[in-house]
Amino acid sequence: MTNMAVSPGATPKKSKVGQTLSTIVLYVTVSVVSVMTVFPIYWMLVSTFQPSKYTLHYPPPLIPKEITFYQFSELFANHPVALWLRNSFLIAMMAMLLCTALTVLGAYTLSSLRWKGRTTFGLFLLVTQMLPEILILIPLYKIYQQLNMLDSLPALSLVDTAFALPICIWILKGVFDTVPTEVLDAAVVDGCTELSVLWHIVLPLSTPGLVAVAVVSFFSAWNEFLFAVIMLTSAEFQPASVGLTTLKATGFTPVEQYMAAGLIFSILPVLFYLIMQRYIISGLTAGAVKG
Amino acid sequence: MTTKNNYPSGTSGATSRIHQAQKPPRARLRLLPYALALPIILYELALVVYPIAQGIYGSFQQIELAANSPPTWVGLKNYQRMFSDPDFWKVMQTTLIFTGLVIIVAIGVGLATALLFNRPFRFRPLARAMLMLPWAFPEVPVVMIFVWILSPQFGVVNLLVRWIPGVTTNPQWLQVPVLAMGWVVLIASWKAFPFYSLVILAALQSVPQEIYEAAKVDGANSLQLFWRITVPSIRTTLELLVVLASIFSFKQFTIIYLMTGGGPSGATETIVMRIFNTAFRFYDYSYATALGVAGFVVSLVIAFFFIILQSRRAQENS
Repeated sequence: MTNMAVSPGATPKKSKVGQTLSTIVLYVTVSVVSVMTVFPIYWMLVSTFQPSKYTLHYPPPLIPKEITFYQFSELFANHPVALWLRNSFLIAMMAMLLCTALTVLGAYTLSSLRWKGRTTFGLFLLVTQMLPEILILIPLYKIYQQLNMLDSLPALSLVDTAFALPICIWILKGVFDTVPTEVLDAAVVDGCTELSVLWHIVLPLSTPGLVAVAVVSFFSAWNEFLFAVIMLTSAEFQPASVGLTTLKATGFTPVEQYMAAGLIFSILPVLFYLIMQRYIISGLTAGAVKG
Repeated sequence: MTTKNNYPSGTSGATSRIHQAQKPPRARLRLLPYALALPIILYELALVVYPIAQGIYGSFQQIELAANSPPTWVGLKNYQRMFSDPDFWKVMQTTLIFTGLVIIVAIGVGLATALLFNRPFRFRPLARAMLMLPWAFPEVPVVMIFVWILSPQFGVVNLLVRWIPGVTTNPQWLQVPVLAMGWVVLIASWKAFPFYSLVILAALQSVPQEIYEAAKVDGANSLQLFWRITVPSIRTTLELLVVLASIFSFKQFTIIYLMTGGGPSGATETIVMRIFNTAFRFYDYSYATALGVAGFVVSLVIAFFFIILQSRRAQENS
C-alpha cells in the first residue's frame, strides 16, 4: 500500500529527524484537508443543535455552547414535513420497485447472455444516462400535460426510474459478472433454463448488488429535485426535496429548524450511499472502475 | 464492456453438449435476451427518446404552453433567433467556464487527496470515510448548508475572510458576479471531488509496487517517480474522469438553480439554467426547445468521447 513518490522512510538515507518531520507534515495535511472537507457538514450539525440565539450572532461560536432538541418537534408542528417525507417515500418506493425489477432483466441480458445487440444496448443505456434531465423535462412536461399526468406521484416516479435505470443496470451487471461461469454451466448441466439460472443461482449470489440497486433507485428518486419541482404543482403532493426549498423562501423559519429539516432529509441517503459506495461508483463509471 | 462470461455461447464443452442432448427450442433461446431487453428499451424510448424527438420536432414550431392554440410551423426561426442572440453566446461561454473550472478544481483536488490518502497513516479508514461525505449528501441540503454559510449577516465563512487585511465588512457573496461563479464552482466541486478521489485512489492502488521499488533502486527521485510512473499509469483513468466530470457538470442544475438561479445578471447562467428559465420563467416554450437541441448536441459529443475512452479502456483491460 505504500505508494507514492515521497513516502516517508522509504529511502534509508533519510535521517530520523527528517522522518519525524515528514510524518508531522503528513498528519497536518491530512487534518487540514479533512477539516476543510467536513466543515460545512459540521456546521450544519452545529446550526441544527445549537439554539439560534447563539447562531444568529456575529461572529458565531465555532463550538456549540448549548445543545437542544426542541427544534425537531417544532419543525414538524410548524411545517408539513411529515407530509413531504411521506410523498418522498411513496415516490421513492415506487421508483425502487419498478427500477429493481427492470434492472434484473437488463443486467442479466448485458452480463450473462450472448446476443447481437448487446453492445448497442449497453451504449444506448450509457447515452441515456448522460443526457441532462432538462432536455427531457420540457417536452415531457407537454406530453404529461396532454395525458393529464402532471401532479401525480406515480407519474413522477416513472421519470425518476427512467433516469436511475441505466446506472442501476451497470451496477448489477458488474455484480452478475462476478458469478463464476462454472457455476452457471453446472446449472445448465443439471437442466436449468436461462431464466431459472437467473432466479435460482445468479440472484441469490448477487444480494449485495440487488441492495445497491434498491438503494440507488430509492434515493435518486428521494433526492430528485428538477422533475419534482415542475411536475408536482399542488402542495399536497410536494416531496421533501421541493418542500425544503420553500423553507428557505419563506425566510421565517428559524435556522435550527431549517437545518434540522435538511438533516432529517439527508441522514438516510448519506448512510446508505456510504455503505454501498463501492457498487455505486462502479455503476457511475459504467464498469470502467471497480471502486 | 467486459466480455467475461460466454455462457450460453456454446464455447464451453458442457454447455454445448447438454444443449444437444436436450434439444431446447433454439428459436426461444435466441429470443430470450431480446425479450428481456425489450421492456427496458421500450421504457427508455417512451420516457427519454420520444420526448427528445418531440423536442426536436417542437423546435421548428411556435408553441404556446399555456394557451391551447395549435402549434404553427416556423421552420428555422427559433434557430435563427438563437444564433443571432448575443445572450446565447454568453450562456455558452458561461457554460464552458463553469464546466471547465469544475473539471479542473474537482479532479485537481480529487487527485491531490487521492495521492495523500494513498499513503499509510493512522485513522486512514476513518479519514477516507469522512472524505466521502460530501458526495453522499443530496444536493438540496448541500445548497441549504452553503446558503447559510454564505449569509452576509451571520455566515461563518465571513470569519475566515475577515482575517484578510482590508476586508472590514462581510461580502455579498452571491450578489457579486465573480464571487457567485466562484462559489457555485466550489460547491459543485466540493460535492463531486470525493468521487474522483476514490476512483483515482483505486487506480493508484493497482499500480504494482515493484515498479516504484525498481525505479528507486535506479536512483529516481520522487518527482521523477510521480511523472514517469504514477501519471502514466493513471492516465487512462484521468482521461475517463475528465469526460465524466464534463458530463456531470454540464448537467448541473440543482446547485446553480437554488444558489443563484443563474444570477447575478446572468453570471452563473449555464445552458441548462437558460433552458429552464426560458421555459418555466418566461414561458417561451419553442425557444427553450431550440436551446434544448443545442444542449443535446453538446451532450452527445461528450457522450461520444466517453464511449471512445470506455471501449479503449475495455480493450486494454482484456
